[in-house]
Amino acid sequence: MPVQLADLLQRSDVWQGNQLAAPEGGIVSSGFALLDAQLPGGGWPRGVLIELLVASPGGGEVSFLLPALRQLDATAPFAVVAPPAKVHAPAWASHFPLRQLLQVDAKGEEVPWCVELLLGCGALGAVLAWLPSNLGVKALRRLQLAVEGRRTLAFMFRPLSCARNSSPAPYRLAVRGGRVGLQVEIFKRRGPPCEQTLVLPVERPVPWGRLAPHESSPYPRSGTKAHLTVVSK
Amino acid sequence: MNALWLALWFHRLPVEVFEASEEPAVTTVQHCVVSGNQAADELGITAGMRLSGALGIAPDLRIHERSLARETTTMEGLACWLGNFSPHVSVSSPDFLLLLEIGGCLRLFNGLKTLCKRLSDGVQAQGFSIHMAVAPTPMAAQWFARAGQKGCLQPEHLKSYLAVLPVEVMSLSSAERSVLASFGIRFMHELMALPRAGIARRLGVDFSQRLDQALGETPDFRTPFVFPETFLQKLELPAKVESSSMLLFATRRLLASLSGWLAARSSGINECTLWLTHERQPPTRLILAFSGATRDVERMERVTRERLAHFEIPAPVTDIALEVKESVELPGQTAGLFAESSAGSLEPVIERLRARLGQEAIHGISVREDYRPECATRYVAAAREKFLRSGPPRPFWLLPKPLPIQEREGRLFHEGLLERVAGPERIESGWWDGSLMDRQAGSDASPAVARGGSGIADVRRDYYVAFHEDGRWLWIFRDTEGWWLHGLFA
Repeated sequence: MPVQLADLLQRSDVWQGNQLAAPEGGIVSSGFALLDAQLPGGGWPRGVLIELLVASPGGGEVSFLLPALRQLDATAPFAVVAPPAKVHAPAWASHFPLRQLLQVDAKGEEVPWCVELLLGCGALGAVLAWLPSNLGVKALRRLQLAVEGRRTLAFMFRPLSCARNSSPAPYRLAVRGGRVGLQVEIFKRRGPPCEQTLVLPVERPVPWGRLAPHESSPYPRSGTKAHLTVVSK
Repeated sequence: MNALWLALWFHRLPVEVFEASEEPAVTTVQHCVVSGNQAADELGITAGMRLSGALGIAPDLRIHERSLARETTTMEGLACWLGNFSPHVSVSSPDFLLLLEIGGCLRLFNGLKTLCKRLSDGVQAQGFSIHMAVAPTPMAAQWFARAGQKGCLQPEHLKSYLAVLPVEVMSLSSAERSVLASFGIRFMHELMALPRAGIARRLGVDFSQRLDQALGETPDFRTPFVFPETFLQKLELPAKVESSSMLLFATRRLLASLSGWLAARSSGINECTLWLTHERQPPTRLILAFSGATRDVERMERVTRERLAHFEIPAPVTDIALEVKESVELPGQTAGLFAESSAGSLEPVIERLRARLGQEAIHGISVREDYRPECATRYVAAAREKFLRSGPPRPFWLLPKPLPIQEREGRLFHEGLLERVAGPERIESGWWDGSLMDRQAGSDASPAVARGGSGIADVRRDYYVAFHEDGRWLWIFRDTEGWWLHGLFA
């Protein structure tokens, strides 16, 4: 049977080089209009491996996901697998009912095994996993296969040094903390390459703009208390 | 709804209670072969053969002395397992037959074919071989099974199907056999052609009644199997076992009967105990815990597998036993009218993770009312809903131990320059934990470590939010010992 090109282009898993694909499993808005415009379908895709490459933890990479996580169904829990430090309950409790959070402590080889099981069961709203830096392509492909067709958001945190290695994850983003906002670079998406670096106003402990401009010496002008200390000396 | 009986004949049970191996094996009584496994059958070793003759055929034959006690417990275990399929189970012990009334549960299992498939799969997984047959009467089902036939479903066809069976299927006594032989009767149709009154006179009322019961002309009441009140099943292992995979296979039989026992009582378990008996050591106790009440045999098996895989068997195991202390009510689920596919369930996954990583590795978190950051997080099995009042900023990650920050010329350094952007927030609490602190200080020589490091006792700290020049947002504090990095605003 001959296949019409027009029909073929209607398929959700086929897209043209200059367009963004429409994800199959549905999307969850990232909460940042600037980012949504660059993500195929207008948000985080469900059932797809999303790699977040982080230089060092603490730049705002978790706060970056908060708007999306808040939209999840309250009955679908999300898992935090092998976090880089101890989970501090009061911080999480101010964003979600803690009932939704499941922490999995695993080390080394066990991390991909846990993540594969959690992604494969399909009962979780999201999985936030900190993968070991030496994880191979094969293991990542297993994870992608496990999550395919599920309704889970799969956020995989990896060190920025992994950016040079190839990865089967359909989405790869580099995330860096910054003075004016979180800098997000989209390395890979189902669509044309994205050249711009997005600067997003993720939630921070102090409002944006409280930071002194980079050029000047920051210390004497920071907090009032700090200023007083200097004067008293 | 017509009654329909399914008979399962465990024709190799005497040998299969000992082992399920590919090697030829037989059970003997007084140097006479009683039963052999398939490999022995294929070599031509038959029941009634002298042991010396059998050894002549297969010198490496494995020989087990027949154990009636084992056969009885195994039959009980199998009857328990059949509770998975129907509440009407009946045991006919001496000839290794189990009868199951399935007329009422065909719909539940999507028809006879799927039911039989599940039964034969289950039997195979436990390492038994069977002949299965169905018939409208229990007696006829029994005969079909012994003849190795599939049986028949319709009462009106029963007579013609029975007619072709040999008379041996009736489990004849030696007297009956010789009388029938003297008549020259070998098949059922020859027997059925004889006048019934004559049969009753020559072979006894009991014999002719069996014939009537098979044809459904006389009622046939079977004593139902009574499921025990508590579950404790033992299994003697044929040989001392040291590997966990062998242990898993043996446990599978016990788990199968446990699941049937639970199904018959419509209950589930949260945990059960597996006892491993050793030769000259106290028994080992393994607790199999599930994250929610269950009677799903696959789920129980998965947990057992992970548990055994990460368990060092201290000494060779001779016996195993499965014990249930407490069961909870677990009603069955109503099937959907349409074929709805259910979403995956999280509980079995959590069980697998716990079985491999340990019970504590998977947990929820909950907030404890304590101002000290180290004490504010509590690990719980299942967190309850709890929103925190909005307050001063708190970081997502807390370092396991505060890291020292250097202060030079009024500037703070920790792998780069830090800039304070908010604070201070004074946290002063925990003076009542003084004894705890002494203990901490006792174990850790340096007071700085006791205060800044573990810091779970009396704390007096000023917390600040700091911005690191590499773009990180940090939670730092100052106490009498100096500056410390404590959290990351991830």
